[in-house]
Amino acid sequence: MTVSLSSIILLVLLNSALDWLPTPGFAFLMDHDQRSSSATLEPHFTDCISRDQVTFRCWWSPGRLHNLSSPGTLSVFYLKKDSPTSEWKECPEYIHENRECFFDANHTSIWTPYCVQLRGQNITYFNEDDCFTVENIVRPDPPVSLNWTLLNISPSGLSYDVLVNWEPPPSADVSVGWMRIEYEVQYRERNATNWETLEKQPHTQQTIYGLQIGKEYEVHIRSRMQAFVKFGEFSDSIFFEVTEIPSNDSTVPFTLVLTFGIVGVLMVAMLIVISRQQRLMMILLPPVPTPKIKGIDSELLKKGKLEELNFILNGGGGDGLPAYATDFYQEEPWVEFIEVDEEDVEGEDKEDNYNSDTQKLLGLPHRTTEGCSTISYPDDDSGQASSDNTNLPAHDSQMLIASLLPGQPEDNEDTVDTPASETGERPLIQTQIRGPQTWVNTDLYAQVSNVMPSGGVVLSPGQQPKIQDNTSSSESKTQKGEKKNEDKEGIEEQTKNEPRFQMLVVIPEGSEYSAESDAIQTSTPPSSPVPGSGYQTIQPQPMETKPAAMPDTNQSPYILPESPQSQLFAPVADYTVVQELDTHHSLLLNPPPSQSPSLCQPQHPLKAPMPVGYVTPDLLGNLTP
Amino acid sequence: MAPIYNTSRHLKALYISPLFVALVCLAFCSRLSRMKAASICTNSQTGCHFLSLANLFDRVIHHSARMHGISNDLHSEFELYFLPSKNRVSRNCHTSTILTPNGKENAQRIAREELTEVILKLLLAWRDPLWHFHQNMARHHKFNNLSSNKSLEMSEMVHELRKGVQKVAEKMQMLGIISNSLGTLGSREALLASDSPEWRLMNDYNLLYCFRRDSNKIQNYLKILKCRIVPEHGC
Repeated sequence: MTVSLSSIILLVLLNSALDWLPTPGFAFLMDHDQRSSSATLEPHFTDCISRDQVTFRCWWSPGRLHNLSSPGTLSVFYLKKDSPTSEWKECPEYIHENRECFFDANHTSIWTPYCVQLRGQNITYFNEDDCFTVENIVRPDPPVSLNWTLLNISPSGLSYDVLVNWEPPPSADVSVGWMRIEYEVQYRERNATNWETLEKQPHTQQTIYGLQIGKEYEVHIRSRMQAFVKFGEFSDSIFFEVTEIPSNDSTVPFTLVLTFGIVGVLMVAMLIVISRQQRLMMILLPPVPTPKIKGIDSELLKKGKLEELNFILNGGGGDGLPAYATDFYQEEPWVEFIEVDEEDVEGEDKEDNYNSDTQKLLGLPHRTTEGCSTISYPDDDSGQASSDNTNLPAHDSQMLIASLLPGQPEDNEDTVDTPASETGERPLIQTQIRGPQTWVNTDLYAQVSNVMPSGGVVLSPGQQPKIQDNTSSSESKTQKGEKKNEDKEGIEEQTKNEPRFQMLVVIPEGSEYSAESDAIQTSTPPSSPVPGSGYQTIQPQPMETKPAAMPDTNQSPYILPESPQSQLFAPVADYTVVQELDTHHSLLLNPPPSQSPSLCQPQHPLKAPMPVGYVTPDLLGNLTP
Repeated sequence: MAPIYNTSRHLKALYISPLFVALVCLAFCSRLSRMKAASICTNSQTGCHFLSLANLFDRVIHHSARMHGISNDLHSEFELYFLPSKNRVSRNCHTSTILTPNGKENAQRIAREELTEVILKLLLAWRDPLWHFHQNMARHHKFNNLSSNKSLEMSEMVHELRKGVQKVAEKMQMLGIISNSLGTLGSREALLASDSPEWRLMNDYNLLYCFRRDSNKIQNYLKILKCRIVPEHGC
């Protein structure tokens, strides 16, 4: 308790006096500056150092006063306090040239206090501070074999890292572990004054980070015992410098490779484009979406050449359309066409049927002339049209109208039919029944009186009975295409049979109207077509198409139902369709049913043809009387 | 509403407090385990892995190096605050009665059993003085907490190191490297040294000085011993 109290008081006193008191330590453990500044005139020891913790040396200085520099005048005595009865002994080995006293291993005891003193002839110079234990005066030798290796260079090429490695001092017995040494590395630029110091560490290598390229660096190392104070001397410096690596070597080939690669790719692309490899072209240059209707040159869509377009859409040119279609875009197989035809009506549900049926509602005003082929013109034209299957219609309005207005007298049609049937070419229109020649006009408007459950549409119910005869006759003829006589018989037979759906179907492939043949055949028992009472409609007739003749039947845009008799003529309805222009350029809404033979003559009434499909301003000009 | 709130808070506390305790235990135990890093399993303990003699030696050497480092730090701190009296070097440490080899050659020359015994004597001699030193430091608040922690760590380290060296000695005896003459490990001398009143008279600074020296001795002796027993390159 008293001891602790006294220590506390001592602590308080000493803390206050701490500033001006010199640092405690052995006399020669102080810095050399302090030592020299103390300016002792007496002989004194300058330093005692052990390098390997096995031996140690002491150096003395004679001082100034007594001129004792000559050797032999001073002697060194030491006291090793390893026993209470220890005595002063003289230095075991003198090295007078250095004024050094060397204590070898036999005379060295670690962890044992030593005191050294200088003795003159009669004077003993002893400083109590010159007492030490050997482990406290150990200053290891500097490391040897300094070497450096470049670790890496920063991506910017401005700085780099270096790994410095060395060997422990040979005098220190590190392998046994008698001495455990830690190293302190210092480096600086060649002409700098301040050293950069790194952390002490016991390993024999260290990395220096962040050195700058182009500058020369100097590195040296010193060592110290672990958990002790005194450092050894610095090692010899090593110098190294890393100059800038010529980056052109690495970047020039890179840029060359890059440019050549780009040029090569471009050349390949050009080759592909030029050679028109379709597949590659598809990949490289995907087609620009433009309206592409199959069989129609997109050029037609540009300049408003609608008459040609209409012609084509309505199947003009007969079965030239598919051929026509193949001509275009033949080299562009990836083009997706807008399919204009609806061949796949079969098998659809009722709604589709219904829709398709509604599209087929075309009441064709027809006129019947007995024994008169009023439509000789059209007949001829139709025939001409039929014969002109493969010919693209010249932009002839007549041709166009002829195609659009397939009013064909039965007789002529019959006559034409037979050869057609014989030849196998059968214009679609020529399904008419033989019988009174009827001038069948296409009429877009037809009054729907009823819709049959089967999906058929009943047009103009008023004229049903008459239609039946025709229908039956036409039906028979359509189905079989027999001779007239047979047809008649068949007609008579079939008149009693189910009413047939008569409808007008526009055939041309690619047109917006469904194919007649398919429509007719797929449609369930068609209702009795009843053209509207108010309309000059041509009763829709079942299309007669032979399956074989299907491909050839795109000769006329419409399948005109054959108007049965003349009684179909009905009073004018709310609206009507301009059927034709007479020679006087007047509009004929209701071409007279009973025409004089003169009228039955083949006419070319259509100086100004009437397109049923579209009326363009161009054609409108033709219409005006 | 208020009672529900209170109970919920209490429930929360109930839940949190064991968690807190567990966390504290975990932290404390990790710290203890770190300090016991160099401890060696006894034969009776289960779950211990078999350690080779070289590994054991490495552990105790590492432990002794750490102990010496701490003693050096404390000694340096004392030198900052205290002016050591003159002739401090000539003071006697209470362990001066223990004969120890004074140099490398001496340490390499004496018998291994003797060297082991010396080490154990030293460690035993310092067990009580360091403990009391720590008590003094903690009680009087002379130094900052860091020094106080170091003193505690130092006293514990001596204790652990002694146990470790005992394990090493036992293993050596088991392997037949050294004879069984260790027996009491010179405990009589050590007990005399530890019971001597000298260390009670030492002031703190002297104690630290002496322990610093002795910890350096222990460290070097262990290294020499390992080099002699476990053959390595350079020994």
